Amino acid sequence: MKRTELQVIERTYWGAVTRKLWHDKMTVVAIGLLLFMIGISLGAARISDTFLGFSPTDTDLRSRAKPPTWADEAWPQFQKFAQTCQRTQCQWSLWPHIITNGLAGVSSCLNDGYGKCHWMGTDQAGRDVFTRGLYGGRISLRIGFYVAGITMTLGVIMGLLSGYYAATWVDDIINAIIQTLSSIPLLFLLIILSRIFSPGPEGLALLLGAFGWMGVSRLIRGQIFSIRERDYIMASRAIGASIWRIMFWHMLPNISSIVIVIGVFNVAGAIISEAGLSYLGVGIGPPLPSWGNMMQGSLGNFTDAPWLVLAPGLFIFLTTLSIYLIGDGLRDALDPWVKN
Amino acid sequence: MTRYIIRRGIQSLLLMWLTTLISFTIYQLAPGGPLQFLNDDPKATSADYNRLTRLYGIDRPIITQYITWIIGEDVMPATDTWRTGRCLSDPERCGRGILRLDFGRSFYFKGESVISLIIERMPATFILGMASLIISVIGGIPMGIVSALWRGRWPDHIIMGIVSALWRGRWPDHIIRVATVLVSTVPDWWIGLLLLIILGGYFRLVPLSGMQDLDDGSLLDRLHHLILPATVSAIGGWIGFSRIMRFEILEVLNADYVRTAYAKGLSQRQVIMRHVLRNAMMPFVTGLSGIFLIALSGSILFEIVFSWPGMGRLVITAINSRDYPLMMALFVITSFLGILGILMVDILYSFVDPRVKYDI
Repeated sequence: MKRTELQVIERTYWGAVTRKLWHDKMTVVAIGLLLFMIGISLGAARISDTFLGFSPTDTDLRSRAKPPTWADEAWPQFQKFAQTCQRTQCQWSLWPHIITNGLAGVSSCLNDGYGKCHWMGTDQAGRDVFTRGLYGGRISLRIGFYVAGITMTLGVIMGLLSGYYAATWVDDIINAIIQTLSSIPLLFLLIILSRIFSPGPEGLALLLGAFGWMGVSRLIRGQIFSIRERDYIMASRAIGASIWRIMFWHMLPNISSIVIVIGVFNVAGAIISEAGLSYLGVGIGPPLPSWGNMMQGSLGNFTDAPWLVLAPGLFIFLTTLSIYLIGDGLRDALDPWVKN
Repeated sequence: MTRYIIRRGIQSLLLMWLTTLISFTIYQLAPGGPLQFLNDDPKATSADYNRLTRLYGIDRPIITQYITWIIGEDVMPATDTWRTGRCLSDPERCGRGILRLDFGRSFYFKGESVISLIIERMPATFILGMASLIISVIGGIPMGIVSALWRGRWPDHIIMGIVSALWRGRWPDHIIRVATVLVSTVPDWWIGLLLLIILGGYFRLVPLSGMQDLDDGSLLDRLHHLILPATVSAIGGWIGFSRIMRFEILEVLNADYVRTAYAKGLSQRQVIMRHVLRNAMMPFVTGLSGIFLIALSGSILFEIVFSWPGMGRLVITAINSRDYPLMMALFVITSFLGILGILMVDILYSFVDPRVKYDI
């Protein structure tokens, strides 16, 4: 299509951002993936009722740590293959059997799987891993968003204050807090606190948030430094605007792009931190499933039941991958200086 | 300079005092009290509870508990308020206070000295931390240098994923963007777990757990046990170092003195070796301070994944058995080591880079 010359398209900043985002196929796919993950977590009850036929907390002691049902026959063959690798040479001729058996298992699972087929195997108490993964998303995603909310609120307020009042006692106090928090082993402190007080998802999010805002605050402070002497700040000060108005009305919008991007990355970071704490057995405790504590069951027997490690990792991976890609796309889209 | 060092020293002392306060507060606030572990023991009676309360001096006022924890009971008057029951009955068994490195006796390990439990496990943690630091420095710095000097050419694309305007939006851009993101999207300990299953479980290339085989303490065997844990825990540092390095080199390349160096006719090699790298290494020293903390507390997850017999595993044991003396000691000692490490790096940095501002 031939464009007419000298055509001026007027767009608002946010209009340009949405347009740029929409043209970035990768980001669109990532947004779709994240919505899908949120969707299956929210609809976990419905999906497990209509398609899977399991409940996340029903234990079945006769089928403990069972491989995925579709791999019932393929799994022992795979183990045999692995054993041949340990001893002499890998027996690659086993693979056609493994693949055909696996595929046959998948199709029989698809045809008649309701209440029988464990798509991702069962854990050490005989619970369906896939169903738990769906329900686990509710907790893990919720913690991710809560923590991002708390760290961003704390970080932005502290960063704005210390940037605005740079080199005064306010700045000194905030810097002292940041220095204290960043020189103690925080993971250790988090483990102690969450073990002693065993908080629920909200409490854990509060803990993670309260000890995770320092980086955000430092970043915001640096950004504020670069704009605090600009003319428009001077102008609003001259007409007698209050500090709060200057901070939230004039400064914050001008650094909003960086705030949004780090906010998005923080969600992924929080999901990963929660997984770590729950894996150590101090985060979200059973019977509530979270992606981290599902892996905790694998502690003793992970080589015999690798699906206990793989399945929750897959959920985490898909979610954080989509969040990172969205953040990456946003960083490009929100920066007006980078042209396509 | 001396003033700066004294100032930082006082700051560090204050921080250390604060960590003892944090540690002691957590211990006092713990629901169920310090003797909560008795609830898990079906044979424990209320007589046991009273006996232990008296023995450990938990019935004393909080202030005296804190003071004797810090400076010891043997220097205090021999009364109920100041000394624990154990100390009153046998002056040999008085606590000597954490200032003299006596952190009391462990609940879980049947009265063993807490400090000797920790010292026993320290070498393992340090070996893993140092190995992972060495790997991340050896891997990260050259990677950062290469990707900065070849910026926009293919090594940079592969290493950093920063895609030049030329390739923007086409498939190499997408592939590289995904590839660099992949490493940061999964927990690094999970990568370790996965590699352990594949390499250790199925192919038996690396051992599944521990620091050495029971009957074999040779150097080769130890290295064999070290290789996977050290590599996996170095992933984060590797990426971090190469980013810092790349950023710093690009920054320095634009400096006036680099232009001067070129102008006076030095070859590119000379400029880079003498002027660029030397200056770009400066902020790298600060990056080291973070490593101290990561080596101390970040290794908890790796030590659990690889069953590494270090302090991280002791942390989990102490927490799960609610062994408060051990827990407090571990927290205070790791914090002290971290604070001292940062102090050392700061002082070192002020010697290396004379431009550092002392008024901070």
